[in-house]
Amino acid sequence: MNAEVSHEIVLNVNGEVKRFSAPARRLLSDALRGDLGLTGTHVGCEHGVCGCCTVLIDNQPVRSCLTFAIAAQDRKIRTVEGLADADGELHPVQAAFKECHALQCGFCTPGFLMTATALLEQRPNPDEEEITEALAGNLCRCTGYQNIRSAIGHAIELMQSDI
Amino acid sequence: MTVGATPSRVDAVDKVTGLATYPADRVPKNAVHAVVVFTNQPHARLVKLGLAETLAAPGVVTVVTAADVPVNEYGLTLFDQPVFIGLDDTGRSSVPCNVSRWEADHLVVVVAESLIEARQASALIRTEWEQLPMANDVVVARTDEILVHPGSTSNTYHELKIRKGDIEKGIAAADVIIEGTYELPHQEHAYLQVEAATAWIDDEGLVTVETGGQWVHEDREQIAHALDIDPEEVRVRYASIGGAFGGKEDMSLQIVMAVTARKLAKLGNKRSVHCGWSREESIVGHHKRHRATVHARLGATAQGIITAVEADVWLDAGAYNYTSNKVLGNLHLSVAGAYDVPNARIDSKAIYTHSVPGGAFRGFGGPQGAFVAESQMNKLAEALGIDPLELRRQNALTDISAGITQAGLPEGVGVVRVIDACAERAPTSEEPASGKPFRPIASLPAEMGQLRQGRGYAVGMKNVGFSFGFPEACEADVVFHGDPEDHRPIRVELLHSAAEVGQGVHTALIQMVADAANVDSKQIEATFSDTATGGDSGSASASRLTFMAGNSILGAVEEAEKAWADGDRPALGHFSYKPPLTEALDPQTGVGQPNFCYGYMAQAVDLTVDIGTGHVRVDRVLSVHDVGKAIHPRMLIGQVEGAIAQAHGYVLSEQLVVEDGRIRNPRLSQYLIPGIGDVPVKIDCVILETTDLVGPWGARGVAEMPFITYAPAVTAAIHDATGVWIDTFPLTPSVLLGHLALGNL
Repeated sequence: MNAEVSHEIVLNVNGEVKRFSAPARRLLSDALRGDLGLTGTHVGCEHGVCGCCTVLIDNQPVRSCLTFAIAAQDRKIRTVEGLADADGELHPVQAAFKECHALQCGFCTPGFLMTATALLEQRPNPDEEEITEALAGNLCRCTGYQNIRSAIGHAIELMQSDI
Repeated sequence: MTVGATPSRVDAVDKVTGLATYPADRVPKNAVHAVVVFTNQPHARLVKLGLAETLAAPGVVTVVTAADVPVNEYGLTLFDQPVFIGLDDTGRSSVPCNVSRWEADHLVVVVAESLIEARQASALIRTEWEQLPMANDVVVARTDEILVHPGSTSNTYHELKIRKGDIEKGIAAADVIIEGTYELPHQEHAYLQVEAATAWIDDEGLVTVETGGQWVHEDREQIAHALDIDPEEVRVRYASIGGAFGGKEDMSLQIVMAVTARKLAKLGNKRSVHCGWSREESIVGHHKRHRATVHARLGATAQGIITAVEADVWLDAGAYNYTSNKVLGNLHLSVAGAYDVPNARIDSKAIYTHSVPGGAFRGFGGPQGAFVAESQMNKLAEALGIDPLELRRQNALTDISAGITQAGLPEGVGVVRVIDACAERAPTSEEPASGKPFRPIASLPAEMGQLRQGRGYAVGMKNVGFSFGFPEACEADVVFHGDPEDHRPIRVELLHSAAEVGQGVHTALIQMVADAANVDSKQIEATFSDTATGGDSGSASASRLTFMAGNSILGAVEEAEKAWADGDRPALGHFSYKPPLTEALDPQTGVGQPNFCYGYMAQAVDLTVDIGTGHVRVDRVLSVHDVGKAIHPRMLIGQVEGAIAQAHGYVLSEQLVVEDGRIRNPRLSQYLIPGIGDVPVKIDCVILETTDLVGPWGARGVAEMPFITYAPAVTAAIHDATGVWIDTFPLTPSVLLGHLALGNL
């Protein structure tokens, strides 16, 4: 196989413009982790099942392991590194996961946080069914999901008290 | 932040912000990349290995083979596995290295400038294999017509016996005999972080491996053994670990990456080498929960008093031992349940096969044993028309029981306590079936007429810590810092090797130091899981770390207090905790004291079966645990909920397909672990705190216990709902429908 031709790729990640050179088939997950050093986005299965690599593209949760980096140009990418404020204050979803012990090994956590953030931005008051539906594509092997469910409820409270 | 409180995890902020770095996140900028090439041969002799094209491929730095391993053998409890299969036998391996016995035996490590170049070069390896006959499972293997390890005389390489009382009399005294053959399936750990490691030779010349495992010092021992160097010349440290569950207790990349780093150094190349497995490599490349077959008989009087237990256990060890001997021991001890059995004959065998190795996985033998013991008890309760909890209560082990190994039990036996709490707390009125769809696998609303509800119970006990005379120990170092005039330390250092695999042990240990030293947790600085700084903690396994590490901390703080009182600044406290001694069982009778502590559990499962589709929804789990002392009650409940979710997959959805020694579904799209819509709707956790006399703050252990009793409680509930007993699983919808059809449902 011949070496692949590299292209300049420009991504808008967490509000910052990032430029790097990579083959057209560079996956967004690999670009974020390898080219941009944003290793908070994890890869757990490499084919869109586990949800660990979930990022937001134009506020929609997307599997970055199934997305070409080049296809995410001109769109707004958000990763777990962009959730907290510039001064380090945790996003309500992050705070809720921390307070509700909604993580153990933490490997799936960034994916859950991104999916939950998108859910609550779109539906500030989801019911249990909607929460289940939204998080059904993120796998956790540690927690049994009970505390993750609690964290979503707590995040809703935190977001409402923020207003 | 002290014992019994529920502070945030010490790693929570890093884990919610993405700052926590797992092994695959820590690739040095100038690292070279490695691919571990598996043999892909469940049983074949290597005839030719051609590496010329690989070596000549673009970007290739070097290849690593059997010729590069001074002592080409490893294994956690037996050295029965070559590090590499190859033609260059150094003569220092207990097992011939030119025969592949497992599809994931390692053949070559290809090192290149980039991962893609390493992969492309791997495809150029030329091999010739002579295919050898296969002993795929214990049925074939136990005939010994095909030997997995040719130097041996039998594939049955580890046997345990129980001979208690008079089995003939016990059977004769029974009014009812329950007899069954149980088939227990493999289970894949499916931790979300797959194996990765980086290795280099550090400035002091130490062979250094950074990875995620369960026991840094054992990793170091194994590496040193294979490299034939002193363990002090090896350093192992852990990054954040993305789950383990027993699956990272054995070696994956540790040895091969150490060997690779050393070869690079010999070639004058000082760069680090990194390797990360794909999910497929992970599933194919590490051991599983054991497949096992158990034939059991249980005899009892009409009043429900157990008179005899007989069992024959065949454990499929796979091609290499890993921890099969330990798993067999646990299965052996648990197959008679938590009951007073006057007469017993149990024969347990671990058998080599040409299949994926079985090894450690949460509960290690306990789940298999409990499925048999508790299914037998549930069937007995039905046969006698006795309440299943009452039947268990009247046969329960107590402080005055001899136990199945006839040496008594550690004081504080809690079987009756958990049974009573389960009976008291199990809801009496069941909510009606909701008719809600079974999400997410079936989205159509269920037909109400097809829903059947049931309740099932299971009770058990599980050892804490290593058993059978293993030299169990745990070290801790605590350092008090301050000026001579300070009354109390200003700052406390903790150096400990306990592996944070997600269970929260680092948080718990800091709680314990704060409590023992009476300082604020903010004053504590901890360094974990690095052989360069911490003593040997033993493994994050066997539900042992709270107990063992807690005691090590109590000892180390006491030592530091003494030094502090003597005026030492800093005041050093080192302690190696050793629990009460255990014994190997007598080979003929099984007499002996195998364990120093147990945790006790009872579960009630309420579920709904859709007899039209075969789907099962678990509506509620009551999980009762006597934990001695909850160091951090919320993290403890997290262990219960997480263990139940894993057990839920074990019994209902996780189907590992192994054919001809090959795993056929090594992907998370094919091997289905539970999602948020699959797990029990509700879990009620009841924590009892009956002080353990030896445990730190009275604590026992809990991480494995909730897993162990879940599967038999589920199948008992399915029986309650449908009238059908099922002696095997996983009960995927189609499989369950098959069983129900046999029961005319």
